[in-house]
Amino acid sequence: MKTILAVDDSGSLRQMLSFSLKAAGYGVIEAIDGEDGLNKAKQQTVDLVLTDQNMPGMDGLSLIKALRAMKNYQSVPILMLTTESGDDIKAMGRAAGANGWLVKPFDPTRLTEVVKKLIG
Amino acid sequence: MLSQESAPDLMETQVMRLLSGVSTHGDQHLAEVERDLVQMDVLLNEAIKKLCASFMAIHHAIDLQQETLKSMLSTGKPAPEQAARLETLREEIGQHVGAAVTGLQFQDMTSQLIGRMVQHLAGLRDVFGELGTNGAADLPESGSEEMLVMLNRISDRVGARCSELAGTVRSTVNQRHMESGDIELF
Repeated sequence: MKTILAVDDSGSLRQMLSFSLKAAGYGVIEAIDGEDGLNKAKQQTVDLVLTDQNMPGMDGLSLIKALRAMKNYQSVPILMLTTESGDDIKAMGRAAGANGWLVKPFDPTRLTEVVKKLIG
Repeated sequence: MLSQESAPDLMETQVMRLLSGVSTHGDQHLAEVERDLVQMDVLLNEAIKKLCASFMAIHHAIDLQQETLKSMLSTGKPAPEQAARLETLREEIGQHVGAAVTGLQFQDMTSQLIGRMVQHLAGLRDVFGELGTNGAADLPESGSEEMLVMLNRISDRVGARCSELAGTVRSTVNQRHMESGDIELF
């Protein structure tokens, strides 16, 4: 089973992500912020990372940079899932190493289609 | 000497500058709070409508599913159209659950808006705080020149507080409705 790391400081959002991805047959590891996400990513290499941008402590962009600096995360797909949709911040996400940008709120069907496209 | 204007004139100018500064900065913070409240109201209204509609639709689909199952059980052998009906209902329920999942994400956005409003209100409190800490207790006993210097200092601090806040509080929630957002793969 493919495993996805879902990083978001909102408990309800993590619950919705977990519900949607598990229903589509993926395993989900939840993390409450960037630092927690980084620790969990070190414990187990996952197949895809979905992260929020604005979180207390380590934000999404910092998490992506930290993950891309790790050997086993250089080619793992990382998607941003955030309320932000400005071109500047998207460009920063792309430069940091994100593979895609999803604007909240997400639609479960469209989300799982994108995930399937990236990791099968 | 501060200027060639008379002391009462200067005093009046400084007091007016201070009041105008407080009023302008207060207005800016309150306008931002008002904007966020309106946006939050729209998001909450749409989310609740969406959730109510999804709940009713799921309830209706499950009722129909139950009727079809009862009918299948009574005949003993499912007819092809009954099996097809069950499959259609399963898909319908899935779509309604998906819509509910989108609607349930309102908390994430509204909590960010609330956080921003709290920061603006804290900024407003700081502005008034500057007036309080530099207020009556610190008034010079005499000398309009000292008074002018003090008023000038308060105005500068109020302005500085507002500039600090403007640099740190930006809106991270652009959503004006509860439809699902765009997806872009790089």
